[in-house]
Amino acid sequence: MKTILQGPKIIILLFTVMLFFSCTKRYECDNERPTHGNVIFTFVHQVNGGSLKFDTMLYRTAIGNNYMVNDLQYFVSRVSLRTAKGKWVSIKTDNGIHYTDASDNNSCTWWVNDILPVTSYDSISFLFGLDEEQNTSNRFTNPPESDMFWPDMMGGGYHYMKMDLKWKNDSMTQSLPFNFHIGIGQVYIGNSVNPDSIIGFVQNYFKVSLPCNFEITPGNYQQIMLQMNIEKWFDGRKSFNFASYPNGMMQNQEAMFYACLNGRNVFSLVTAK
Amino acid sequence: MKKIKFSVRLFKCAVALIFLLFSTSELFLLSCTKKTETGSSFHPTPYTIQIPLHFPTVLNIPSDNPMTVEGITLGRYLFYDGRLSGRPGPDSLMSCSTCHIQAHSFVCGIDHPVFTGGHPHGLTGIPTPHFMLPMINLVWADHGYLWNGMISGNNPQSGYRTLEDVVGLVIMIPQEIHGDTNRTKAMIQQIKGYPELFDKAFGSSIVTEKNIARAIAQFIRTLISANSKFDQYLQGKVQLSDSELSGYVLFMTEQGGDCFHCHGGDGNPLFTTNLFYNNGKDSVFTDPYDRFSITGNAFDIGAYKAPTLRNLAFTAPYMRDGSFSTIDEVIDFYSSGLVWSPSISPLMHHIATHGVRLTPSQKMDLKAFLLSLTDSSFIINPAFSRPSKMPGE
Repeated sequence: MKTILQGPKIIILLFTVMLFFSCTKRYECDNERPTHGNVIFTFVHQVNGGSLKFDTMLYRTAIGNNYMVNDLQYFVSRVSLRTAKGKWVSIKTDNGIHYTDASDNNSCTWWVNDILPVTSYDSISFLFGLDEEQNTSNRFTNPPESDMFWPDMMGGGYHYMKMDLKWKNDSMTQSLPFNFHIGIGQVYIGNSVNPDSIIGFVQNYFKVSLPCNFEITPGNYQQIMLQMNIEKWFDGRKSFNFASYPNGMMQNQEAMFYACLNGRNVFSLVTAK
Repeated sequence: MKKIKFSVRLFKCAVALIFLLFSTSELFLLSCTKKTETGSSFHPTPYTIQIPLHFPTVLNIPSDNPMTVEGITLGRYLFYDGRLSGRPGPDSLMSCSTCHIQAHSFVCGIDHPVFTGGHPHGLTGIPTPHFMLPMINLVWADHGYLWNGMISGNNPQSGYRTLEDVVGLVIMIPQEIHGDTNRTKAMIQQIKGYPELFDKAFGSSIVTEKNIARAIAQFIRTLISANSKFDQYLQGKVQLSDSELSGYVLFMTEQGGDCFHCHGGDGNPLFTTNLFYNNGKDSVFTDPYDRFSITGNAFDIGAYKAPTLRNLAFTAPYMRDGSFSTIDEVIDFYSSGLVWSPSISPLMHHIATHGVRLTPSQKMDLKAFLLSLTDSSFIINPAFSRPSKMPGE
């Protein structure tokens, strides 16, 4: 009796499996081709042309500061792609915001779920950090993003970037920590850095535009590798001297200004095949 | 036309799913009709954690131990039951609550009559490797448990990954309850009332080591503290005093006390990142149970979890080795007592001056703010306290 009952069940199961397979081979079934493609952003981090190695005093700035990188986390936002015809396509996935922790491979890859037109593209742009509209306090309640919060009294929202370093010049016997942190700057009246003396805030986010040449093809993910060339934070238009800011950067708009000045040339597009 | 083809595909998938459901219906029926051993259907009441304002929405609850009212009820009994040690003698009783005392935000407290200076030891007198961490808001602990994060989802060794595993280990290890799981199970099994409680919580009246740990872990996950004066300030219900506000500024500014990077604040109301830092307390490292012992990364030598600062008023002594007896001593340390070492956290950027160099009045303000994190309702919450009547009584 059992055997008799099992027979139809096996047939049903086989039928089910066949149906599933028929569903997955959708393009062969109905000759329908997708009319859109997609992109995967990969964030890579280099120093002087080599992959970033954490926690090792391997690097040296142009003005003679040796340094190591211990942590690196940052936001990019308002990511957009420009078609060869000049139309900008904004990324909507995750509201166009991506958090990267350079020590966490998962966060270094961003699968974009947008439906992107099949065509040629010639430029990518994004904001480094978050703009006024998106940089709202308590926007992220879960770590790791929530750990990036920037105190309300210093402008609120989130650190655009936390890069924690240790540095040492040739005359120092011990390395010193340096928190290369960027977010909303403050303008203080007088020499005080007490929040009571703040008379204004400075939005330090900046736009990065990178020319490129790639095609989005039907049904495929186009990989785009954004590379942060870390040495350029310190050796750009303004040589950045860690010794100049012994009390850190978060309450020093000058330091953040120079960092952002250099930051505009920190990114490059490595691959867009 | 495209829409029609898409709909056809959807229809095919739906048909396939329906067939699959029918062909495996026996399995579904079995899972739906599970009955407890007392004959009633097993339908524990789901328990939903109410998430306080701005707290994380992601909770650390394993999928194989969902929170239920019955599980929490059982866990609360077990948490407070000295018979968990599996020993009948009145001097051999030990439960979680022997050390985790509600009045001290679930540490034993510096004034404990047995655990001198707040350093607990197990039934056999062997001290724990470290002093205690507050048992607060662990449902949001996302980087492992204990000072070094040893019990973590990343641990390749099974049995060392979840809060349930912590409970299981605590019952067994000599530094704590030093129990024998068979003896514990047998003892709990024979106490009138417990089999029924297990039955209601897990659908079986058989007491198992796994279900003991699951129930206690469920109870611990309910220990949420989010009703301090500072919480009420953030909700606009009360105003902080001038001194508390000044302390708040010091806490949240890099050129002030710079506490927030490791201990959270208005953007991270847990008042900890749950991450690990060498905070500059030592330059010689002899503790074999630091973060380095877990990761093998030389930059983790001397690093420990940043504890939550909530209910700091109740949780002395402070640091993993109980170095500081008072909040004043902790503030003095961060003000001028830091020592350099190669593995000092890069966030301790005031190391060149051995600390943040606060004035006496600034220290008072910072302390006032820290005390505004006191949640007195937490330490008297009857839902967290010893049940008035234990099973078998």
